[in-house]
Amino acid sequence: MEATAIHELLKRRFGDDVLDFVDGHGQGARVAAARVAEIAQVLRDEDELDFESLMCLTGLDWDGYDESGKGKSVGILGYDELGKPETSDRVGEGELGVAYALYSHRHGHKFCLYARVPRQAPEVPSVSRVWPTAAWHEREAFDLVGVRFTGHPDLRRILLDDDWAGHPLRKDYQMPGVWQEVPLAGRSYAESKWGEDDVVLPDPGGDSGGGA
Amino acid sequence: MELMTDLFGKIFGDGLSPTGLLIAGGLTMALIMSLVMALCAIVFTWTERKVAGFIQSRYGPMRVGRFHGVLQPVADMVKILGKEDIIPAEADKPLFMLAPLIIFIGSLLAWAAIPFAPGFIAADLDLGLFYIFAVSSGAVAGILMAGWASNNKWALYGAARGAAQMVSYEIPLALSCIPVVMLTGSLNMNDIVINQQGGIWNWYVFHDPFLFLAFMLYFVASIAEVNRGPFDMPETESELVAGYHVEYTGMRFAFFFLAEYANLFLVSCIATAVFLGGWHPVAGPVVLPGLVFVIKAVLLVLLQMWVRWTLPRLRVDQLMHTCWKVMVPLTLLCVLGAGIWMMATGELG
Amino acid sequence: MSEQVSTHGWQAQDEPHDLHSELLEINMGPQHPATHGVLRLLVHTDGEIVHEVTPVIGYLHRCAEKIAEGCDYRQWMVYTDRFDYLAPMNMNFGYAVAVENMLGVAVPERAEHIRVICAELQRIASHLIALGTFGLDMGAWTPLLYCFREREEILNIFERLSGGRMLYNYFDIGGLRFDAYDGFAEDVLDIINIMEQKIGEYNTLLSYNKIFVERTADVGIIDADDCYAYGCTGPVLRGAGVPFDCRKDDPYSIYDRFEFEIPYGEGEKGTIGDCWDRYMVRVREMYESCRIVRQALDAMPDGPIMAEDLKKLVKPPVGSLYTRTESSKGEIGFHIFSDGGARPFRNKVRSPSFSNLHVLEKVGPGLMISDLVATVGSLDIVLGEIDR
Repeated sequence: MEATAIHELLKRRFGDDVLDFVDGHGQGARVAAARVAEIAQVLRDEDELDFESLMCLTGLDWDGYDESGKGKSVGILGYDELGKPETSDRVGEGELGVAYALYSHRHGHKFCLYARVPRQAPEVPSVSRVWPTAAWHEREAFDLVGVRFTGHPDLRRILLDDDWAGHPLRKDYQMPGVWQEVPLAGRSYAESKWGEDDVVLPDPGGDSGGGA
Repeated sequence: MELMTDLFGKIFGDGLSPTGLLIAGGLTMALIMSLVMALCAIVFTWTERKVAGFIQSRYGPMRVGRFHGVLQPVADMVKILGKEDIIPAEADKPLFMLAPLIIFIGSLLAWAAIPFAPGFIAADLDLGLFYIFAVSSGAVAGILMAGWASNNKWALYGAARGAAQMVSYEIPLALSCIPVVMLTGSLNMNDIVINQQGGIWNWYVFHDPFLFLAFMLYFVASIAEVNRGPFDMPETESELVAGYHVEYTGMRFAFFFLAEYANLFLVSCIATAVFLGGWHPVAGPVVLPGLVFVIKAVLLVLLQMWVRWTLPRLRVDQLMHTCWKVMVPLTLLCVLGAGIWMMATGELG
Repeated sequence: MSEQVSTHGWQAQDEPHDLHSELLEINMGPQHPATHGVLRLLVHTDGEIVHEVTPVIGYLHRCAEKIAEGCDYRQWMVYTDRFDYLAPMNMNFGYAVAVENMLGVAVPERAEHIRVICAELQRIASHLIALGTFGLDMGAWTPLLYCFREREEILNIFERLSGGRMLYNYFDIGGLRFDAYDGFAEDVLDIINIMEQKIGEYNTLLSYNKIFVERTADVGIIDADDCYAYGCTGPVLRGAGVPFDCRKDDPYSIYDRFEFEIPYGEGEKGTIGDCWDRYMVRVREMYESCRIVRQALDAMPDGPIMAEDLKKLVKPPVGSLYTRTESSKGEIGFHIFSDGGARPFRNKVRSPSFSNLHVLEKVGPGLMISDLVATVGSLDIVLGEIDR
């Protein structure tokens, strides 16, 4: 079944909650975040769709995405040549998003779902009841990007430590200087005798994310 | 021990009372047996590593000592003696320290009744075979102590499995020796060996098919008894986590190792004495009996090593199933069969 | 209740009705002697029977996906090596194909053939470790050494090709970094010729050994429904009886030109989807890889190894694409979001072991501890790609 046809079918079912068709490489549909779980259920259970396999679930931060194609999107903060961590006063804006890549073994067709949520209230219904594999993928998206999945059986950090502050894959993420009393790279240099005296070290992050 | 007491008698003449002779002789034999145990550890660790190496398409120790790493065990011993003796903070100290000793003692005591050569036996008991089995089961207590006192869940697992396994496999081990006892009419180790004189076909293992089967069963049960080879689930859960001696370091750990290799040689010696004719050669007159005995036992040890490095491990329940549902019935069958054979050929009486 | 006295002699005492018992919580801790990597399994057991398994991961997390946003597409190839460090060629392949699909660039023929040969040799090498360490978990020490002996030859070839024994960084966007050396074809043929005979040796020593079969048949059964639900791919999915392989069913590179079978589990020794099936799928895949390598060697042309019209700084057009390829452990997928610039906006790696490990939570309860060990070994996970 063609991706456009799938999009049509979904639009008939869910009306305005299914937004535009995403063409190009990863063909799929942009959908309203609140209906993701129901759309997922239809995608899996409908006979002609039969997407029994969630290949990949990606959480991402659309902050500063430049669609003009000139590659001017916001980059990451890293370390400068002296090993000092780069700092920025820039506050993250824009939306967070989730992308689902689906595949049907029976029909052999692929489809993608894209959902965006506001940064201040990044809540997406969990699809772990539809595809159990999503349980871990959603934990990872929560861990690294900070998207909260409602209805998830066990939403806690999976890759990072339980008491880590912040979500690394956000565009405004700044490396904490110290973690559990261990100075992290760059900061220890800045504090060493070769660093400058008045270096400004970033705050370890006051984000509400993290913890079980 | 008569050899020892006679020797001391010759040296001291009338200077020592008979009790004194006994004590002197006994202590010397105990010392010799301890040395034998230590020698086992030294020789067999090297052998094991070389055998493992050659089976696995590699050389094993090559450097320490000019020829194929023969001094490797010495180097290992020096290393182990130099290690820090760590006792876990929450461990049960007295039991922790006692466990390796009990295992060692259980093994050492059994050596008392092994007939290496005519007259060269530490204690010529009339209950020889029974004594050996009775005394070597004391090691089970040591294993349980080691596992419990370590204050480590995985050690406890290993110990529980080890205890269950050792206790279970003693039954086919002992039962498979019963036909031999029936044939000899005595539990005395010397009598058992003496009865097998006259060349290879007089050895008990070739006496009748049931005894041959009994030997096979004894061999398998002995591997299980020593926690080796396909039956090493208790101690080599260390693939994944730990065995019952995980918390032991240094010399205490060396005791476990010593006891394991000594046990290995012990069960092989028992098999040699009971089934393979003891110190009697394949044919001809008795010459260098001690050497003949040791060679046979060493061949059995090599066979055990071969089995260990070839086969995967049995799971605990499979292990117990093998013991209780396969080996015990078969050994009972051997006893029955051997008895019937003896009646049929008129050997009874 | 406390006054209950039974008529049976051995039950004559009262049963203590308030005996408090709980499950034993043990850790198969982050340090494993041999294999698997830094994985922690939190296991709740009742004696030998496991009631709950919770894998705890993240000990090897290096956030390579964040690093991707800070470097070029070509520069990031190095990081793909470090995911599945036992099969880096497959990781390289997956990423190269993903970016090339976005760019729409055609890779020269010679490069494609060498890529396939490297990927299949890598598959063999990875499966050799899987088999060896699986045998080691079962207590068979010897097959491990034999497998490493053969793997040594493959690593030597890779060292001559790329300069590294474990981490190669050999593939590049649009082709390869270095051409095959003189004598490459002969070396590869040598190892392939030995391989088929050696696999027979492993079968004699391990695969059909009664103890091994008893330890692995009917153990850790993962059926096809569980595989679909938990996203298991690769030998886990094929062991469950589903003949799905990205090389055949979602072809990439030049795999559609080669003739090879997809081995799948048939419950030969026990139930479909048990540990033995997964193990045997890997053994048979090694045979099939040998076939592919032979065909690729025969067909390999001369020519360039890099796409000619590709700039040094690669800039895929705006959009996103999820591409998957078949690694030795399963499906490795790269979901790349591009904004038209030199650096990816988001580069998500979908690793096969991540989902393969997840199914352990479903399959673990009810197994014995030794069976749990066997099941984890049969999943063939690599923590590098789970944690990234």
